[in-house]
Amino acid sequence: MSKDSVGVVGAGSWGTTLARILGDNGHQTLVWAFEQEVCDEINAQHTNSRYVPEMVLPGTVRATGDLQQICERCQFMLMVIPSHVLRRVATQMGDHLDGEHIIVHCTKGIEQETFKRMSEVLREETCVRKIGVLCGPNLARELAARQPAGTLVASKFDEVVRAAQHYLHNSYFRVYGGSDVVGAEVGGAFKNIVAVAAGVVDGLKLGDNTKALLLTRGLSEMARYGASLGADLLTFGGMAGIGDLMATCASPLSRNHQVGERLARGETLQQIQEGMFMVAEGVKTTRSVQAYAIYRGLELPIVHAAHALLYDGTGVQAAIEELMARDVAREFVELRL
Amino acid sequence: MRPEDRERTKVEVVSRIVQEHVERARTAPEGYLETLVNDTLYHERQRLEREDRRRARDQIGFYDEALRRMSHASDRDLRDLVEQMSRRFVDEVVGNFDERVYRFATSMIPTGLWALLNAMSPRRLLSLEGMRNGLANHLLVQGEVDHVRSLLDHGTLVVVPTHLSNLDSIILGYATYLVGLPPLTYGAGLNLFTNPLVSFFMRNLGAYKVDRKKKCTLYKDVLKQYATCSMELGYHNLFFPGGTRSRSGEVERKLKKGLLGTSVAAYVNNLQARRAKPNLYVVPCTLSYLLVLEGETLIDDHLKEVGKSRYIIEDDEFSRPRQVYNFFSKLMSLDAKIVVTYSAPLDIFGNHVDREGRSLDRRGRVVDTARYVTREGRPYHDAQRDAEYTRELSLAIVQSFLQDNVILSTHLVAFSLFNLLRRQNPELDLYRLLRTGGVVDSFPMESLHQELDHVLHTLRNTEGERPRLDRLLEGGDTQAMVADALRAFGLYHTRPAATRRGDRVFHEDRNLLLYYSNRLRGYDLGRRMNGGAR
Repeated sequence: MSKDSVGVVGAGSWGTTLARILGDNGHQTLVWAFEQEVCDEINAQHTNSRYVPEMVLPGTVRATGDLQQICERCQFMLMVIPSHVLRRVATQMGDHLDGEHIIVHCTKGIEQETFKRMSEVLREETCVRKIGVLCGPNLARELAARQPAGTLVASKFDEVVRAAQHYLHNSYFRVYGGSDVVGAEVGGAFKNIVAVAAGVVDGLKLGDNTKALLLTRGLSEMARYGASLGADLLTFGGMAGIGDLMATCASPLSRNHQVGERLARGETLQQIQEGMFMVAEGVKTTRSVQAYAIYRGLELPIVHAAHALLYDGTGVQAAIEELMARDVAREFVELRL
Repeated sequence: MRPEDRERTKVEVVSRIVQEHVERARTAPEGYLETLVNDTLYHERQRLEREDRRRARDQIGFYDEALRRMSHASDRDLRDLVEQMSRRFVDEVVGNFDERVYRFATSMIPTGLWALLNAMSPRRLLSLEGMRNGLANHLLVQGEVDHVRSLLDHGTLVVVPTHLSNLDSIILGYATYLVGLPPLTYGAGLNLFTNPLVSFFMRNLGAYKVDRKKKCTLYKDVLKQYATCSMELGYHNLFFPGGTRSRSGEVERKLKKGLLGTSVAAYVNNLQARRAKPNLYVVPCTLSYLLVLEGETLIDDHLKEVGKSRYIIEDDEFSRPRQVYNFFSKLMSLDAKIVVTYSAPLDIFGNHVDREGRSLDRRGRVVDTARYVTREGRPYHDAQRDAEYTRELSLAIVQSFLQDNVILSTHLVAFSLFNLLRRQNPELDLYRLLRTGGVVDSFPMESLHQELDHVLHTLRNTEGERPRLDRLLEGGDTQAMVADALRAFGLYHTRPAATRRGDRVFHEDRNLLLYYSNRLRGYDLGRRMNGGAR
């Protein structure tokens, strides 16, 4: 079968929004959806009312439920599925992929049991080497309204960055390139933890000073965690670091932020999750990063506090008091800048 | 290289280099070729200033003339100069290879080596047969030998060993011969060619000459292009990917990508030329010595100024024949072996390969590797892409090194003793500890035995990356291991690393202790011994 389309694996809100960008740019786009009814709706009505109710997709976007088909027809693919199912989907795709394929994943999470980043999972489950990550301040709903935004695509292969820019860049979406895959993945995953904490701050109606303190120290923890994995610290000053952090933590649209706000209202994690049908990645990421921090002896107090709130039943006031009671050291001392 | 391939390879190397630079000059800022020629002139003239003028007369004349031409050189002149300079370099590099001489030379290695190291004393010659058997008995070749052999039907080998000693290439040459693998061609430092007899063996074992004093870009291009061409012609290659002997005694964890990268270039060329067997197989390989000939010099160099160690050492133990002889005869008197371990072969992208030479992904699916370097079915070169493939390959090689690094009693005992030293002197930094030895000059044998048990236990129960233990260590008789190592330490080095007196063990040469213990670095053992997470 000839490669006649670009692919998007995953038809959630972000996947569908990215498919719309590709379609807007005039590329024949094939979306893989897990649910048959989503597939049918995209093909029949050019909508995906379950995940992005308002959006109308251009005619260039088609859907399929067949992973083999998307692998055979698309050389360039975006992977936009939750972190906990990425391995399973990648394994299935692995039977149909070859060394010419390019995969850019847009999943902001870390595998729970293994602490692995998504590019590592893709590498383990497929023969594909040309792997990249897309990450930045990209709230799906704003991009759905075609409001100006930017993002980062990082890959060790320039060819991947060039391809992603070629397909995605347009008048309302700026695609910057980079090579620090680890940094981009860490930024994307970690900011969700800070977003949960930011939701708590907003839920408690604390002020801008508190929020700025949280974000700044959250960024510092992100960099510390990233550095331990070999990331380039500069990445955290860019789209995938401070950029994504600001958007996610400022916006009540973010699912992670909503989790935090509801924690502040005194709800438990179980209650919150029962009422959500989309995944808040920050909830799982908090657990992974906390476990990794203990394993590596890394000091990540905000992660620790978020973990206590989510999993140990610690009250929000107690968590804040504990954070504020910590000893203060010189800023950046942990980063040895 | 076989005589019939030599001339055409030289022509090919020069033509590729000229073509590459002329093409680059088209897109590069003005003055590209001029800079290239000037770089060669500068480095070569500087090097020649330190050479014996009479011996280097021809070279000096050539570069003086080139300098004169540079003052009014046209583009055509510059191109000619690049060609002439490359031609001179390649003439010097290309080695000799004669199948018959190879067979003779390899079978003679132990004999020849002894003879030349011993300046051919007639009395010694009488015992040559014994020596030869001695080396065979003391050399253990293990690992994926059959697997490697099965790949010969499917492509060309690139053997990439760890590097501890100048004896490595000789030992490897002999190991290759012993297990029936074909000859390997490799770049050997000029200092290994100084002795005419060694030089004879080296050249006829497939070695080509590498002059590490030549720093210019063009010379490095020639070396890389020569390796590339030889691989394309099906010559099995050997590179030391660490670039130089490990100074610290550690297993190499950072590899030089230059020569390694030539394998991707050769593969793409093979595909473009539609060669019947385009594949190249990378075979990581580890060498373990109970005692290392140049151990003292290497660790001293490492400690002198970490990171600024000399790249070339010419005045070490290897340059003293009597010491080499002494080393070998001492080693022979021990029950010890030099262990050569072949790791599972990889393709040039770091995938494992099966016995049919097919690449496998991590789930065991067959991978069509040509697709890594093709676009719409056509193979093409892409320097950035290939550098990344080479980086991934180097990670896979390092992983093999760490897994197939064989730990011998000297490593284990040095590591354990050094642990005791560190624990006893927590307030001392490494350098002070090495210099002063800390608060006590010895430890009870019992403590050493206990520590060694603890290290062994951790090694055996470690999940994930861990080294291999030599068969002698598998039995688990701690006392015998300690005795074995202390005997070895006492035999060869100027000062033993450690000695036993009564029921105590004394740390004598702590640099050497560090050197031998470093073979166990890279496994996170310290943390694992403290119970994992901290």
